[in-house]
Amino acid sequence: MFGDLRRFDSGPLRGADRFRELLDELFPDPGLANIRSVPAGSYPMINIGRTDDAVRVYVFAAGLSADDMEISIQDNVLTLQGRRTDEDSGTQDNGRRPYFRRERTRGEFARSIALPEGLDADRAEARSKNGVFVIHLPKREELKPRRIEIQSP
Amino acid sequence: MNDVTRRDTPREAAETRTPERDGVRALQPLVDIHEEGNALHLIADMPGVTSDSLSIEVDNNVLTIEGEIRLDMPEGMSAIYAEVQAQRFARRFTLSHEIDAEAIEARLDNGLLHLLLPKKQSHHRRRIEVRAA
Repeated sequence: MFGDLRRFDSGPLRGADRFRELLDELFPDPGLANIRSVPAGSYPMINIGRTDDAVRVYVFAAGLSADDMEISIQDNVLTLQGRRTDEDSGTQDNGRRPYFRRERTRGEFARSIALPEGLDADRAEARSKNGVFVIHLPKREELKPRRIEIQSP
Repeated sequence: MNDVTRRDTPREAAETRTPERDGVRALQPLVDIHEEGNALHLIADMPGVTSDSLSIEVDNNVLTIEGEIRLDMPEGMSAIYAEVQAQRFARRFTLSHEIDAEAIEARLDNGLLHLLLPKKQSHHRRRIEVRAA
């Protein structure tokens, strides 16, 4: 599903994709950035999806287990904090051995992201599996889609 | 522990396995590569990849790492924000001849791939005796 989003950047499909409109809404103009937006590729990367009754936040944090991440919500802002330890930091010659590539981020991180309105933070749940943390945030009852019965006169 | 598949097929097979194959976009996983002892170590961030969806291949001295991102997504979900805009990770490296492809070991732990690429015995440091004529 998230793979579909790549079409955002392809010219010919512009306008044909409804996700494009949603992204334009989130980032109206390249020169005008949300105060909480971060450069692409910041660790950990985040995807957000929505269903009729909940919002799900996917946090791509490879190498982290449940104990390494702290997740909190305040005033509709989700904050993720944690630390990724260098798995080999115990060895003495760390830093002296030759590195050919060092692309992965390490050390402490903290990211905040604004959530849509109307979520019930008290009923939020988080799970981690294969380095992806899934935060399930149910919508408040009054915001769920409702079927309206049509009464006969 | 994941199996490393090896192929002795000619080059044409490798050419079809480009990261863009099937029109599915793949993300390049970020990697650290360092040398320690008689081996190269490669550590790659591949969150969401399971040992079932990971494939590591060495073909004609080209190392291919691929993994499908498996997410638990409920029916009818729509994306409202996405930084990860792909369903797969893929990256390829050329190996030098000193790497012993038969001895490569892989470990996947919480979406973190650790590959150990040992050098061939013949490439270990050794002393060469000079004989008098």
